[in-house]
Amino acid sequence: MRYVSQRLLQFFVVFIVVTFIVMVATRIGSADPVRDLAGGAVSDQQIARVLNDYPYLDQSLFLQYPQWLLDFVTGNLGYSYTQSQSGLAMFQQRLPPTLFMGFWAIVIGLAIAVPVGVYSAYKRDGAFDRGASYTSFAFISMPPLVIAVALLFLVVTRTSLFPTVGGSSYIAPWDSPWGHFRNFFIPSLALGLGLAAVWSRFLRADMNLTLQSDFIMLAKAKGVSPARVLWRHALRSSVLSLITSVALQVSALIGGAVVVEQFFGPRGIGDRLVFAIQQNDILIIQAITAVLVVGVVLANLIVDLLYAVVDPRIRHARKLG
Amino acid sequence: MSGLQTDARQSTGPLLEITDLKTHFATERGLVRAVDGVTFTLERGKALGVVGESGSGKTVLSRTIMGLLTARGVELSGSVRFAGQEILGLKAKEMRHIWGREMAMIFQDPMSSLNPLMKIGRQIVEPLQIHLDMPSDDAKATAVRLMKDVRIPEAERRLEQYPHELSGGMRQRIMIAIALACGPTMLFADEPTTALDVTVQAQILDLIGEQRRDRNMSVILVTHDLGVVAGHTDEIAVMYGGRLVEKAPTKTLFANMKMPYTKSLLRSIPKLDEPSHTRLATIPGRPPDLVNPPKGCRFAPRCAYARDRCHEEEPVLEVAEHPEHVYRCFYPVGSAEFEERDEQVKAELAREAAAVRAAADQAAADSAHGDVPLAAQLMHGKDI
Repeated sequence: MRYVSQRLLQFFVVFIVVTFIVMVATRIGSADPVRDLAGGAVSDQQIARVLNDYPYLDQSLFLQYPQWLLDFVTGNLGYSYTQSQSGLAMFQQRLPPTLFMGFWAIVIGLAIAVPVGVYSAYKRDGAFDRGASYTSFAFISMPPLVIAVALLFLVVTRTSLFPTVGGSSYIAPWDSPWGHFRNFFIPSLALGLGLAAVWSRFLRADMNLTLQSDFIMLAKAKGVSPARVLWRHALRSSVLSLITSVALQVSALIGGAVVVEQFFGPRGIGDRLVFAIQQNDILIIQAITAVLVVGVVLANLIVDLLYAVVDPRIRHARKLG
Repeated sequence: MSGLQTDARQSTGPLLEITDLKTHFATERGLVRAVDGVTFTLERGKALGVVGESGSGKTVLSRTIMGLLTARGVELSGSVRFAGQEILGLKAKEMRHIWGREMAMIFQDPMSSLNPLMKIGRQIVEPLQIHLDMPSDDAKATAVRLMKDVRIPEAERRLEQYPHELSGGMRQRIMIAIALACGPTMLFADEPTTALDVTVQAQILDLIGEQRRDRNMSVILVTHDLGVVAGHTDEIAVMYGGRLVEKAPTKTLFANMKMPYTKSLLRSIPKLDEPSHTRLATIPGRPPDLVNPPKGCRFAPRCAYARDRCHEEEPVLEVAEHPEHVYRCFYPVGSAEFEERDEQVKAELAREAAAVRAAADQAAADSAHGDVPLAAQLMHGKDI
């Protein structure tokens, strides 16, 4: 119980600090928030409308923040006057593509990293391990944009399966599984390859340590087959760094999504954030970052719970704490 | 698999025959000769104690025999015949039928040798399912029976527990239960009690001994402590610097040890009947460098009885009065040369003991008068 309340407190502190900083940052970038929201040189009517909707915008920041917070938690996620779209409608339209892309990127990342990491550790310093090491360092040092261009050149232009630059659009998997795959595979791969590179290294390092431990020697001495030693005994003890890294990469994914969404589409929240920044659409910037903060903190919370699922000793310690 | 099993249980002759076994590790510093030409046999149902300091090669010896050392850079030679069959150099794939089923091992540290993330029940059941194809209900029942055999209370409840929920002694019992699961003919126990409380040590050793008799299993008990093997083995092999330096039936060895090294090992165990403040005998110096072992007898640089010949020429294994007693020494305990030197050594020890006792008496008298603070006495203890 103490553990849960501690985590909740942490969550609120992080949320408030980050959203306040974002608010300050948007106001620094905007000399006249009301005019910017209204879309620059526009009629007094438009400005009056903004002020009517958000009367606190010309108050001091410390007065603005609690009012914004109250709006946010009561479901008023801002409004884009230039796009004539409410924050809520914007999220309904833009969040699903990004969520799917992030989800598939993580799936692809893990699907590559786990077998590669396990096998690299098993055949440590062998040809496969060395090859995987060079390949992953290459991918780690490549930004998503470079991977995206490489995929465009190597896959998209040579097959007619996938839409080309900027052509990917959002199709839900339940509407058309094949359409979903066509539109999401290449952007997700562009993000997932970098993740796979990082994660396979983490897993390999942890597996190497685990494989030297006494209980692995005991498993071997019991006559357990190498495959079973690796997957049943060693892997579970070696995933803590990997899980941690998955949580940390969630925030990095958002950065990657901005680039990949602009390059291939489908146009999701990353693309919308860039557009909002260009337009100084400050209420939308605030809403998107606030939602991202919630997402990142939630991801970390899930990871924390996963620790306890993986390791009974952590479960035990938390029960006592 | 089945061929080997019948062999191990029915073949006659010694269960284990080790001939000129060598385990060398290629390192950056050079070749480490961890086990360097060891030969012995072990009959079925017998217990052999392998004794030596850290770095004497005793753990590497037991792991080599079991075939667990297969990493790159490990060079093996010689012969290990198990139930008449050569097993040295067999691939892990071929050894897997022997591991856990014919040969089992108990490791030193029960804290780190059980999988911390796997329930105890599953860890005991695992070899049963792998080797005996036991259906899961039978395997569970067998696991409970094994746990009762090794006297674990509330066995059914323990099945669902994790290692961290058990004490060190209980975990070592679990390890023994795992090792015994498939009824092995050969059990290796590598320092099985070193990590345990003194009170638990005797229980664990008795348990291993009792299971050995019940199951007619051979045991190799690896330890640094001569006291541990004294009551729990039929034979003792003393290792030094990768070599076997003395081997004899346990009673013979304690009655008539030949190697000065064995004698020093025995002397370095504290005894209750000695007056307090007796300085505990230690063996000066350090175990030999296994990359460049000494030219002559490997113990010579640390031996109070060594003469010129010991530094030049390495002794071979001699047979003592008892035909099963062998040792590697030119001037064994009881020889004229040994006795001559022993007079000096004993006189030296007696002088030292007297000095220590006098210092202690002096300190006691001083503190009774209260003129020297205790800390000062301790600090100057050597000079008094």
